[in-house]
Amino acid sequence: MNLLEIKDLSIHYVTKEGTFKSVNHVNLELEEGETIGLVGETGAGKTTTALGILRLLQSPPAKIVSGEILFKGTDLLKVSEEEMQKIRGNDIAMIFQDPMTALNPIMRVGDQITEVIELHNDCTHEEARKRMRNMLELVGINVERAREFPHQFSGGMKQRVVIAMALACNPHLLIADEPTTALDVTIQAQVLEMMNELKEKLGTSMILITHDLGIVASNCDKVAIMYAGEIVEYGSLEQIFHHISHPYTEGLFNSIPSLDKDVDRLKPIKGLMPDPSALPEGCKFNPRCQYCTEKCRTTEPPLYEIQPGHLVRCLRYGEEGQ
Amino acid sequence: MAELLRVEHLKKYFPTPAGMLHAVDDVSFTVETGTTLGVVGESGCGKSTLGRTVLRLLNPTDGKIIFDGRDITKIKGKELQNLRREMQIIFQDPFSSLNPRFSVSELISDPLRTFKLCRTAADRKKRVYELMDLVGLARRFENSYPHELDGGRRQRIGIARALSLDPKFIVCDEPVSALDVSIQAQILNLLQDLQESVGLTYIFVTHDMSVVRHISDDILVMYVGAMLEKSPSKELFKKPLHPYTKGLLSAIPIPSIDVPKTKVVLQGELSSPIEPKKQCRFCPRCPYADERCQNEVPAYEEVLPNHFVACHKVREINGL
Amino acid sequence: MIITMLTGGGEEQIESLENAARRHTQAGDVFRRLLNNKLGMIGLCIVIVLLFLTIFSGVVTKFPYEEQDFGNRFQFPDPVHIMGTDNFGRDIWSRLVYGGRISLLVAVISVAISLTCGVILGSVAGYFGGKVDITIMRILDILMAIPGLLMAIAVSAMLGSGPVKTAMAISISGIPASARLIRSTVMSIKSNEYVEAAVATGSTNRRVIFRHILPNVIAPIIVNSTLGIGGNIMAISGLSFIGLGVQPPTPEWGSILSSGRPYLRDFWPMIVFPSLFIMLTLFAFNLLGDALRDALDPKLKK
Repeated sequence: MNLLEIKDLSIHYVTKEGTFKSVNHVNLELEEGETIGLVGETGAGKTTTALGILRLLQSPPAKIVSGEILFKGTDLLKVSEEEMQKIRGNDIAMIFQDPMTALNPIMRVGDQITEVIELHNDCTHEEARKRMRNMLELVGINVERAREFPHQFSGGMKQRVVIAMALACNPHLLIADEPTTALDVTIQAQVLEMMNELKEKLGTSMILITHDLGIVASNCDKVAIMYAGEIVEYGSLEQIFHHISHPYTEGLFNSIPSLDKDVDRLKPIKGLMPDPSALPEGCKFNPRCQYCTEKCRTTEPPLYEIQPGHLVRCLRYGEEGQ
Repeated sequence: MAELLRVEHLKKYFPTPAGMLHAVDDVSFTVETGTTLGVVGESGCGKSTLGRTVLRLLNPTDGKIIFDGRDITKIKGKELQNLRREMQIIFQDPFSSLNPRFSVSELISDPLRTFKLCRTAADRKKRVYELMDLVGLARRFENSYPHELDGGRRQRIGIARALSLDPKFIVCDEPVSALDVSIQAQILNLLQDLQESVGLTYIFVTHDMSVVRHISDDILVMYVGAMLEKSPSKELFKKPLHPYTKGLLSAIPIPSIDVPKTKVVLQGELSSPIEPKKQCRFCPRCPYADERCQNEVPAYEEVLPNHFVACHKVREINGL
Repeated sequence: MIITMLTGGGEEQIESLENAARRHTQAGDVFRRLLNNKLGMIGLCIVIVLLFLTIFSGVVTKFPYEEQDFGNRFQFPDPVHIMGTDNFGRDIWSRLVYGGRISLLVAVISVAISLTCGVILGSVAGYFGGKVDITIMRILDILMAIPGLLMAIAVSAMLGSGPVKTAMAISISGIPASARLIRSTVMSIKSNEYVEAAVATGSTNRRVIFRHILPNVIAPIIVNSTLGIGGNIMAISGLSFIGLGVQPPTPEWGSILSSGRPYLRDFWPMIVFPSLFIMLTLFAFNLLGDALRDALDPKLKK
């Protein structure tokens, strides 16, 4: 059985100015121990999806319009708020982009981790402290630093603390929202390496939200490319990187300056991300697509399975399939 | 090609309660007309301070800046104001770099008003349209306010503002790091086109190695205020000589699954730029550091033609 | 309006369509936004009514404000004296309407003086920083250490009485607070990159302050001044109460209120009506101030 199965999830923000269709008919599957990369640009609906899984969206304005989120077989959208609270932290944990705001500035780092452990486990204070020390060791922080305050830690170290906190209760699923975007490259490399090691050691499944295809290449097993609230391409790492199929994915790869090839000019995707309150008809990517045909402007493309497990939301593959 | 900018032993220190912060410490380089010098480094390495000091937005503590054959290190008043027409800056943050109370046309024409470059309002409008066309900003946005526009368009306003005075030289301070990749590529192309059509010279400050490789002719690597390596862009990526550059390059996540990852993960963190010891800045993290590195600031020397490195052990490490 | 997706090339095509709709001036914009704010309009109406009453006091009153009628002391409101008469038999309505001249004038002048000084000192201290900042702020700290009323008493004892002199006496104690507010706002705005951009494009210090910084300080200035007007009306009455402000028989809201204090238990009109006027004024200025602040913020454009 899959650890997490999202079926037909749609999340809208209903405001006075209009309805913003942030997530539209998203399907995702995640097996035990797997890491899936959720890739997309600002406003693609990555974070909304993640917050939706944890039911942390503020409602109103957010509204889950349809769908099921099956975690170990139970629909998270149907459980009570109390049960959800138990699931958060215990079974599913989340790491946010900015480690600076995730920690309480006036509490010792060790105490913060201990508190989280005590909150979710039925254990004595001593046991919790012991577990806290183990966690710090695990993320590569000297145990003596548990007595220090967050401002005494550097950005990379703070993110390690946040990760230690998230993993303290042995969650089955970790949702990491751009965990290294705020960090320097060399520090990012350290944190990513540590996360990879931890994943192997603990067997945690992970949803890694990022805009950096480089991070995806080194950390994920599966990739979902999101655009305007939809998954436009979905497949294994190999399928996505070797058989780039959706025009948007292609544009993303072409936008990144290469480190080994000499390219005189980049080939960016023209135009801008559509406004989620006024999505175009037909394929959502059609105004920016270089292969756009008349049909793309009117027909909404379904997901075509071009290879076992490799799904693409583009009409070009529909004709081939027929 | 003619040399446009020469910086000699530039230093910029800031007083802090804990002591002198050496933001830029003894940096020297030259930039030729029509080329781009990329300045890379991690946060707090002094790359932005370097850019601002070169523009005289900050006053240098020591050293010399020679622009277009003229020593501009100490000029002030009217002379400094006139220098602004030749040197401009593009900022990182497309939100805070635009005055929220100004409309697009006011933002772009503000420098024109400052220097009273256009005699009539109609002239000014014509010039604003010219600039908007140049940076690819639709004219219908002239009365919009920055908060109504997306990051890419806002960055185009910043570029148009910088171009309004017809500068020869622009410092680009992380101009694309706040943007999405697809928009980032659009802006990079725009900057390249402008360089070709107007003949601009850039200093391009960034932390993104793939961007800097794409846009720069030469690259300067900085670390906690000091310059560690400078070489032509392609050579730096092919044959990095300084151990920090090697670590930096291998830390970049490459968007490909075919490249075997031989990662040199640099351990440790950046040291403090406040009252640094007289030693190689990188030695606390350097796998090759020995006693000499801990007691002596390495000299900056031309190890290979046009390839400068500040490292005691560069020859030993690279077998030169 | 949020700009929707448009391809790079297609942008020009619909330009002409939108262009016509987008031509407007900034002042017109501000005014339009002000008109759309209902609460703000209520505030503006009250202020206009108050101004009308005080300017045309002679027309709207039947009795001179100083006419005493000992036979008619402590009259409760009736059709002749719509707000009753006070302890000397004077018409309260007349006194309040004439008193508005002094109260409003003095309050507005004193706010204007303390704000002008506050803006100059605060923006200079905040913008230049360093020694200039330290010098200005320490002097203001000393000024702040003296209790406001005590300072006003001392100054008005020195200057003597009269509306303008009273306004000056009150304004001095208001300077440090507004200077501090302006200084901190200026410092936070100064750290924005657009200020650096202005310097980089050759703006002089004066130009940076007047064109880029002060317009962005306008929100706290307006809020501060509307609140200040209320506080100052109370301060005037305090001064009048101890005999240093406006001299009797010249009416003034605060002094009418304080003269009614001994009769608080038995004769309410002398307390309620002046309080009502003061309250309405504060209310109206606050509403107007909030609306103005919103109208001046282009981000709230709708």
